[in-house]
Amino acid sequence: MAELIGGLGTSHVPSIGVALDRGLRDTPDWKPFFDGYIPAQKWMADHKPDIAVVIFNDHGNAFFLDRVPTLAVGVADRYKPIDEGWGPRAVPDFEGASAFSWHFVDQLVENHFDPLVCREIDVDHGLQVPMELFFGRPDAWPVKIVPIFVNTIQYPIPTPQRMWDLGRVLRRSIESWLTDDRIVILGTGGLSHQLQGTRAGFLNREADRAWLDEIGPNPEKYRSMSREDYVETFGSEGAELIMWLVMRGAMDARVKTLHKHYFAPASMTGAGMIVLENEDAA
Amino acid sequence: MSDQIPETPLFVRSHGDIGYPLNKMAMSLCQAENREAFKADEEAFLDRYGLSADQKRAVMDRDWEAMVRLGGNLFFILKISAIDPVPITAIGAAQAGMSHDDFVYGRLGKVRHG
Repeated sequence: MAELIGGLGTSHVPSIGVALDRGLRDTPDWKPFFDGYIPAQKWMADHKPDIAVVIFNDHGNAFFLDRVPTLAVGVADRYKPIDEGWGPRAVPDFEGASAFSWHFVDQLVENHFDPLVCREIDVDHGLQVPMELFFGRPDAWPVKIVPIFVNTIQYPIPTPQRMWDLGRVLRRSIESWLTDDRIVILGTGGLSHQLQGTRAGFLNREADRAWLDEIGPNPEKYRSMSREDYVETFGSEGAELIMWLVMRGAMDARVKTLHKHYFAPASMTGAGMIVLENEDAA
Repeated sequence: MSDQIPETPLFVRSHGDIGYPLNKMAMSLCQAENREAFKADEEAFLDRYGLSADQKRAVMDRDWEAMVRLGGNLFFILKISAIDPVPITAIGAAQAGMSHDDFVYGRLGKVRHG
């Protein structure tokens, strides 16, 4: 059967991609941020996954407000990076793990989730930036992807518990996938930020650091928080952090936190990263 | 889920309803031909999407606080800054009602380099 080799979490702030595009990686503003990802990039290079399942939210670039799926899964062979209005980025297309995607969709419906199934769809910075942070800017991506789109923009957004349950089904899908594929899960979004209203610019460094410390050993408190709690603690856009619960829910109860990194502000966001492995990993 | 957290507008139905023309117009700017049309005759372009008079004024004044108050969602209205470049921190400062420096170095706590 396929193997879940690790769970990673990261922010997906668009300015990160812009900084890379403009060659700002080693400027004083950005170097400490990017350097913090080096251990995760090394982990990825050493562990050589075949498939990356990426949980992220589209930002109106693939889905507009005319139709908003709460949950969507890509089953394509290929995904193009979206031009979000500033011109095309020098990011290669993403190859899709379509066979595993279909298996996952089958398992989702079997377990009473009802995703929108997407055969042709482009992916925005929500997926591009995490891939660049963990894999750099290769000529071709070394993994195939399964994109999972979660609505975190238009309310109602899904509950933290639902994200956790989605992770449980993802885990069962990996364990019932009869290949030798090595799979990583990337939960993306957050950490604290708020882009709108008079509280715009709200950051909560203490809560962000606690999240990185606790999401491995003590995820229960985050699973049982309400959406209002997320908005209050992490800011309106920081509520995206619920998507990390898909990753965490897919992992074992006992995990090792191998790497973590925090930097604020990246643009207007508390930016964080984590690498988890199951404690009893083979 | 209700929209009752202080100073924190969530994109609930009421915002979505009034903001729909504004957000739809903004997202159309992802296409180059629409960016050209916007630049050529901004008001005529806004009329195509049926923006209210207040929404039109907010866009033409680049009044980011008003755009959000009138149903704009930042992820959408941000596309206007692809035509008329402005850092997202300036949009944030406008909503917070702060100067850009106070917002960036005070509220966000950015470290000064040189």
